[in-house]
Amino acid sequence: MISIDRVSRPGILHEVSFDARPGRVTGFLGRNGAGKTSTVRILLGLDRAAGGTALINHQPYASWPRPLTVVGALLDGSGAHRARPARAHLRWLAASNGLSRARVDEVLEVVGLAGAGGKRAGRFSLGMSRRLGLAAALLGDPAVLVLDEPFNGLDPAGVRWMREFLRRCADEGRTVLLSSHLLDFPVDDVVVIDGGRVVARGTLGEVTGEHDSLEQAFLSLTGASSW
Amino acid sequence: MRAELRKLLGLPTAWVGLVLGLIAAPALVLVNAPGMRRAIDSGQTADLGYENLGIGLLGALILGVVTVSSEYTSTGDDAPGAHQMTATLLAMPRRSHLLVAKGAALVLVVAVQGALTASATVWLTRVVLPEHAPPFAPGRMAAAVLYWVLLALLAYAVTLIFRNGVITLTVFIINSSVVSVSYLLTKLTPWAAYLPDIVGAHMFLRSDLIDLRISPVTAGLVMTMWVVALLAVAAYLFHRRPA
Repeated sequence: MISIDRVSRPGILHEVSFDARPGRVTGFLGRNGAGKTSTVRILLGLDRAAGGTALINHQPYASWPRPLTVVGALLDGSGAHRARPARAHLRWLAASNGLSRARVDEVLEVVGLAGAGGKRAGRFSLGMSRRLGLAAALLGDPAVLVLDEPFNGLDPAGVRWMREFLRRCADEGRTVLLSSHLLDFPVDDVVVIDGGRVVARGTLGEVTGEHDSLEQAFLSLTGASSW
Repeated sequence: MRAELRKLLGLPTAWVGLVLGLIAAPALVLVNAPGMRRAIDSGQTADLGYENLGIGLLGALILGVVTVSSEYTSTGDDAPGAHQMTATLLAMPRRSHLLVAKGAALVLVVAVQGALTASATVWLTRVVLPEHAPPFAPGRMAAAVLYWVLLALLAYAVTLIFRNGVITLTVFIINSSVVSVSYLLTKLTPWAAYLPDIVGAHMFLRSDLIDLRISPVTAGLVMTMWVVALLAVAAYLFHRRPA
């Protein structure tokens, strides 16, 4: 469960509020620069908000002693130092949160990198980097997943794999929040942000409303249709 | 802290620091044997062997820098703004805990390296110049190791402030090996002798580096104060700045 309540940052976010619930994929949609990444970084304790609260299971991210077991996050890049092999990267992450080493090979298997564990992260293709980032997010088997633009850099097969994977996570009862400027994935709930303000939120049906599609609704909500 | 140790020792550049720190000083004993004989001829034997320990601080500096700079290296061309610090803070969101764990891992690695190097260097000096080497003094060696540890922490703090290893490394290496700006400053004002890199050496060297004489304990305290002050600034900035 993710609860964002009136989160503000001068010039970037204005009283952003929404929830993401267990068992559902929540799409956090907006154009580039709308405030998606800022919101996600505040939620994960990487940046500070000037006001408001961003909680995960009723607590701020930084108050969890072993956060990787609660929240899995995928941000820009793989997060691994280029000179470090993928497996070594995941092993220090596992050690930092008291997770078993066996878990490292399990997540490499899940994201399809079982054969590339010994390869240095700097030699990974863009798609492989994303998979390594996802492996890190899954390490602690968290009930909440937060993914910032997870489809960036994936080839069509990768996009399809990611879509199905996230759907499965939600079906298992996890909370899945993913931000994207693309609309081509199945979501249960939608939050639309524009210019740092939430302009619509609700179930897919509620936000689509009278429009033919989510895309139509999005374009009219964000004023991007004038393009 | 186990994670931080694993992280530090998993970096190729950290091993450059380790190996350089380990072999540079003992190697210098062998290379510098003629120089040491000249020192003996002129009767300056108090620091024989110990003065070679100075070069080994490069290893400690590299380790101190790398433990932070590796966090801020871009992870790839496709995401130029992305760096390992994001993953680190996601795993350890309490920033003060993280800084302590990192510092502790660094101190441990540098202390072990320093103890090995100092023993090897002093022992080698006794082998090469048995009749002139100063007596084996655990206290002085411990002081040399402490000097290294403090320098590593100094590099750690400065790199954290600049978030860039190249700046720190360039300044420190030029200052400690090519032209010592701090040393030149001592020519202008005696107060420059209390700059961290100069004052620290008084902890284990006995001959007067410059005209001013500073006792080992005072030297240790002054250097510790420098390190504490810079660490405090670094920690403050680390808390304030977005990751």
